[in-house]
Amino acid sequence: MAPRPYNLIAELSYRCPLRCPYCSNPLDWAETRDSLDTDAWCRVMREASALGVLHVGLTGGEPSVRSDLEDIVAAAAGAQLFTHLVTAGLPLDEDRLEALARVGLRSVQLSIQDALPEASDHIAGTTSFERKLAIARKTRALGLPLVVNVVLHRHNLGRVRELIALARELDAERIELANTQYHGWALLNRDALLPSREQLAAASAIVQEEQSRPGLEILWVLPDYFGDRPKPCMGGWGNKNIVVAPDGLVLPCQAARSLPGLEFYDVSSHGLEACWADAPGMNAYRGEDWMPEPCRSCDRRGQDFGGCRCQAFALTGDATRTDPACALSPDHDVIAKLRDGDHSGVPLRHRSATRN
Amino acid sequence: MSPASGVNAPLSPDALSAALRAIGEERYHHRHPFNERMHEGLLSRRALQTWVANRYYYQTRIPIKDGMILTKSPDASFRREWVQRIHDHDGQREGEGGLELWLRLAEAVGLERSEVEAFELVVPGARRACDEYVAFVGGHDLLESVAASLTELFAGFIMHTRIAAFEKHYAWVKPGGLDYFQSRTVQAPKDSKYGLEYVLEHARSREDQQRCLAALRKKCDILWSFLDAVDRATARPVLASHALVRDEPDGSRVVVLSERAVRIGGSGNEILELCDGTRTGMDVAGARVAAHPGEGSVADEVHDFLEEMGKAGALRFEPEAPE
Repeated sequence: MAPRPYNLIAELSYRCPLRCPYCSNPLDWAETRDSLDTDAWCRVMREASALGVLHVGLTGGEPSVRSDLEDIVAAAAGAQLFTHLVTAGLPLDEDRLEALARVGLRSVQLSIQDALPEASDHIAGTTSFERKLAIARKTRALGLPLVVNVVLHRHNLGRVRELIALARELDAERIELANTQYHGWALLNRDALLPSREQLAAASAIVQEEQSRPGLEILWVLPDYFGDRPKPCMGGWGNKNIVVAPDGLVLPCQAARSLPGLEFYDVSSHGLEACWADAPGMNAYRGEDWMPEPCRSCDRRGQDFGGCRCQAFALTGDATRTDPACALSPDHDVIAKLRDGDHSGVPLRHRSATRN
Repeated sequence: MSPASGVNAPLSPDALSAALRAIGEERYHHRHPFNERMHEGLLSRRALQTWVANRYYYQTRIPIKDGMILTKSPDASFRREWVQRIHDHDGQREGEGGLELWLRLAEAVGLERSEVEAFELVVPGARRACDEYVAFVGGHDLLESVAASLTELFAGFIMHTRIAAFEKHYAWVKPGGLDYFQSRTVQAPKDSKYGLEYVLEHARSREDQQRCLAALRKKCDILWSFLDAVDRATARPVLASHALVRDEPDGSRVVVLSERAVRIGGSGNEILELCDGTRTGMDVAGARVAAHPGEGSVADEVHDFLEEMGKAGALRFEPEAPE
């Protein structure tokens, strides 16, 4: 029997006014159309709630590019889901945020690219920093909790203290300092994003010091490639989190579409329960039966679930192998080579701006 | 690079002193919302009483902590100096000393001496904070223990603020109640001067200095969490406006928040229903005790639940206004 999903990640559209070079959307994001209409998304919300989902993250791309976001939020709220908006802060504006709060939005996660306006705008590939601050302030003025999310990399790791100070100033409940995970565009830009060991150590010391202060909750997502154990990716494949992509495909994570040979179902042709419980791709790496050694006999298999399938595929060409981020993986040397090379001067490539 | 330069070089005494004071400026409890409200005259009578009663538990731990510090020093002159703190607290005879003055404060704010001495109003979070301080001194060396006491550097100043605030805003407190604060305006600067000189002299390596800074940070955090607990007990808990309460098929309930969901069982449900904005944390505990007479842990269960739910962001705490 499939486990109960607790969290729905609703990718409403891959369109986004930002062009961050570490975007986790697929490289060919523009091929994935926004094929679910308002009614289809509203149905997904009701079916998710019936499956046991408690919480929905409305994300993208940028969810506020959809003109029916209010209807989708209202449907999610009506289905007794906690509705959480994951936004870049635009094209959302203050009036629209207020309208969303009125129909049942409960919290906002806002991405900020850097603590310096010009650096943030440079990474975002568009002028956006001041808009983001306005959305943050409006969020708090509406009494909604604010989560600030920052993807960290070589170019902004030196400013974690300023980022934390900014989150405190904005009265955020929590800041997520998420070192880049190398999927999608981030994988393409890996050599231009990878930090140095010294940068990480310095940032990590600052985070530890700040974490001991009261108030703001600070989440530090350890960087890929620098640890010796893999991340418990998505809390396990098809275990807690259910992703619905803009075209209606139901996935165990935002990147699983990149894995070859897996069949997933689509909410346009199947009920959400069948997409979650019965799709062959959803069951491919569920539980522990698929695990190779060294995972199969490892004490930590119930904690980190063998790590990330997409990373295993990206680095070894075989999604069934142990995540090379694990020091116990026979492929771990791949990580060391990628990490320790000289990457200075590698240029960033922004995400493509428009549909093809 | 020579050993005396770079990131591992020790701080000069002036720089270390400044770093210690910067910690106090940033995170000493003069900045805690409860203290800010106290000093602005915004505490209800009950809130002030609860603070006095809880703080008495802290006062009783201080001579125990100082006794532990004495056992760490082989130096007679240090012990001669430090033992004075125990005399200050306990007095030379019955009816003297800081603890006695605190009990007079308790009476002046309208509490019974016996209920305060029996710690009847002490909430578990406040007790844990005080015990954590004693345990810290038990588990750390003399230098760190002295460094942790340096919150006294900032105590003299807060005492002056407090005396002025009491005289201005809490005129109902009976005369003589402020003698403890008066006594500390003299003792705290003297004690902290000795403690600071000790740390500046003995924390010679960068590593020792870092340990001292960390000890002072820890102590500030302990004082802070003590006030958090008093704050929760004296304010009125209500469900956070963004929290979603949902019934589960198995009859339990979950409170869903932006980054987590908290499952609550039978007693949690009953406690949550009492958190309707009319009762303080102490009132909620009182209502539960009245409904479950003879069950010893009911009040503690309420305070622990309020703490857990408060930390998860499921409850917010509305201060009770002065009468």
